[in-house]
Amino acid sequence: MRLGAATAAAAPGVTSAPADRRRRGRLRFFLAVLRARPIFALGYAIVTLVVITGALAPVMVPYGPMVADPNVYLQPPGAGHILGTDGTGMDIFSRVLSAPRIDLTIAVLGTLLSATVGTAIGALAGYYEGQRTWRTALSTFVMRAADVLQAFPVFVFAIALVAVFGQSVRSIVLAIAFVNAPIYLRLMRSQVLSIRRLRYVEAAYIAGASDLGILARHVIPNAIAPVLAQLSVNVGWSVLLTAGLSFVGAGVVAPTPEWGSMIAMGFQNVVTGQWWPSVFPGIALGLTVFGFALVGASIEVLADPARRRVLSGTLG
Amino acid sequence: MMRRNAIVGPQVNRRDLLKSSAAVAAAGAVVPTALRWQQAQAATSSTLVIAAPATPQSLDSNFDVSLGTFEAVAALYDNLLEFNKIPDPKVPGAFREDIADHPDKPAGLAVQGKLAESFELDPNGKFIRFQLRQGVKSNWGNELTADDVKWTWDRKFGLKAIGAFYLSTLGLEHPDGVKVEGKYTVSINLDNPNPLLAKLQPNLYAPIYDSKKCTEVATDDDKWARKFIENNSAGFGPYRLEQLQRGQQAVFKARPDYYLGRPAMDTVIFREVPTSATRASLLQGGAVDIAQYLQPLEIIKLRGQPGVTVDSVAASFMIWLELNAKTPPFDNVKVRQAMNFAFPQEQVLKTVFQGLAEPLTGCMPNIYAGFTDKFWKYKYDPEMAKALLKEAGLGAGFKTSLAYNAGDPVQEPIAILYQTALRDIGVELELKKIPAATFYNAVSERKQPIIFYVDSPWCPDVGYSMTLYFNSTSFINYSNYANEAVDKLLKDTARTADQAARVEMMTKAQEIVMSEAPWVFIAFPGYHFAHRANLKGFTYYTSNNIRFQDFARST
Repeated sequence: MRLGAATAAAAPGVTSAPADRRRRGRLRFFLAVLRARPIFALGYAIVTLVVITGALAPVMVPYGPMVADPNVYLQPPGAGHILGTDGTGMDIFSRVLSAPRIDLTIAVLGTLLSATVGTAIGALAGYYEGQRTWRTALSTFVMRAADVLQAFPVFVFAIALVAVFGQSVRSIVLAIAFVNAPIYLRLMRSQVLSIRRLRYVEAAYIAGASDLGILARHVIPNAIAPVLAQLSVNVGWSVLLTAGLSFVGAGVVAPTPEWGSMIAMGFQNVVTGQWWPSVFPGIALGLTVFGFALVGASIEVLADPARRRVLSGTLG
Repeated sequence: MMRRNAIVGPQVNRRDLLKSSAAVAAAGAVVPTALRWQQAQAATSSTLVIAAPATPQSLDSNFDVSLGTFEAVAALYDNLLEFNKIPDPKVPGAFREDIADHPDKPAGLAVQGKLAESFELDPNGKFIRFQLRQGVKSNWGNELTADDVKWTWDRKFGLKAIGAFYLSTLGLEHPDGVKVEGKYTVSINLDNPNPLLAKLQPNLYAPIYDSKKCTEVATDDDKWARKFIENNSAGFGPYRLEQLQRGQQAVFKARPDYYLGRPAMDTVIFREVPTSATRASLLQGGAVDIAQYLQPLEIIKLRGQPGVTVDSVAASFMIWLELNAKTPPFDNVKVRQAMNFAFPQEQVLKTVFQGLAEPLTGCMPNIYAGFTDKFWKYKYDPEMAKALLKEAGLGAGFKTSLAYNAGDPVQEPIAILYQTALRDIGVELELKKIPAATFYNAVSERKQPIIFYVDSPWCPDVGYSMTLYFNSTSFINYSNYANEAVDKLLKDTARTADQAARVEMMTKAQEIVMSEAPWVFIAFPGYHFAHRANLKGFTYYTSNNIRFQDFARST
């Protein structure tokens, strides 16, 4: 069964047995894809590992991630400290493991916030576009505002927002949401523009459903797939942005365990031979972003009926 | 159904993201590569290449105190007097200013004329008369006269700013106090005696301007040639400005007509290299002659490198934490004392400063006459700190914050070590990183409960140093410290030329200040001059900067 996302979501009143069969079919297909494209499996493995590590960090770490011990400063990787210690004697291993709690929290919250706001506004803008009412003017205004937002270099814009809101986790989440929201807005608007003229939407309208009801029950569910695909890529990118902000001093406050902040604290030591305070968090950050990119790539394939059909044919 | 081509703007596609993630993973492992620009020049020629954290923002010392400004001012301008130079007792081949007390000399000072050929100082410190050198030319070809000295002091009156601080320090209340007594004779006359009358003359805030050139370029809106002096020079110093590209480099050319002889280094390239690790790499690779403001680990590493020498001398620099005496709970002396007993000074010196610094055991530079450490009592003692907090009614601890400069790499690790140490006595310390560009605004606002400060009093005098930081009306008393007894001692010290009496009064003031602890005392970081081994002539000045004219290349 190779139902497109829109068809699947728009088929009301299906019984539970076919739904179960469909779910089992999807799972088998998903596993077949992972076998055929092991790089996707690697992505899921990395993301799973990072999430589990972040969740269990408090019970896994051998030392407090924010406790400095000047008696063991700049110890190279070894028995007592697997990944060594930084310039104040904080354990790199404990900090690398604890960092996803901050990095992923910020990235996921920021991305979800931007997706929620961007999707809602994009759906309204797409739905009302071209109707020659005041709502059209509002829709046009929203799109031009998004143009303005997107005209700024993302990183500089994020730094400016953190500077305005103050240096805190909340500010970084807001900054990430701000710079990402236009992506979801445009994505959802383009989807809604094509869906709103389909017959089932017109049928709902004739049946007397309200605009918001039509959007919520018939349009958004069928337009959401590309948004979901974008989410994973954006989480990885947001981790990178969070680390970047911390690297330039506009992110989390020291000594919060966060990869970008750790790289910033340790990079000056590289030239004097103490590479470990910055290299290990750099590797962890790179792998995490890489993992989310691969997951995003897999979702992109799985959510696109055309590419899924091609892949399905390849799998036999 | 999917329309990916509808996604535009700042989003990142999968390929970009994969590239970014790979780049981040690699970035941590890549050792910064030394730039090789001007390497050939730096190695052998009469060109001096300096890697500095910043180029001068302005060349006018009346308004600008940014990094690089005073190196430029010292090259472009000369003063009336200078301290004698003596060999540094610790570093062979290095020199330093002779700032010790010399009771056998006028005002107890080992100073000599520079632009002034000779000077006459009133034993009571009410006037000083300078006889200027004749035939000294500015970089614009104008001869030095008494009018230049008069115009220079009039400019301080006219523009206020930093000059006004020096006027008030001297007690010079009217422009008429500076009198032209002849073409080459000028005097400064005070209403009250002031022991600093001669001592302040070598200061880099007191360069002499070419008044003829300055009045030529002045306008009705800019009577004191501010715009010109910000970007050019009109002085009697050994160099002239060839180029100033802010954020990139400043280039200075030696003046062949300099009255003390043409400097050995014909061209000086003062290059901005913001990262200390890169500056260290450039020096190690031979691309620059001097790398300024390096981190302790970089200094340690460079000491073992062939072709590189690091001269570490005792200096007037101090680093401390300002405890805001107007902000609870630091308005309580016991809490301030507890904060000192809880500071792990020994560990900070060992880890952050790598043993290159000395403990700050007093409230003024230990290289200045009159300093004493006999009132130091704050050896790390968390139990004592807890007891003091309990006496102050804060046995359960409290929460506060510490602001530090993002541009100074030693401050963050010190803050982290202090945060960990304070947890042991129940104090929760929040760290606030403040961008370098706005850090001094935060300091001067005096609103942070605790904030770092690094400074040195440029006049090597016990009264001047103490007044700067502990007079309740001083503009850089950033801890808001106020004590009537200390104020009175400072006032009396400023009005007598009897050095023994001054030292006695300032010893009493140091006792009070050390007991009331408006600072958390951290370190004397010292001055560490990293340079190519073939560069000779390093001289330490209490202003903690270099003078290009001191250097020559050995063969």
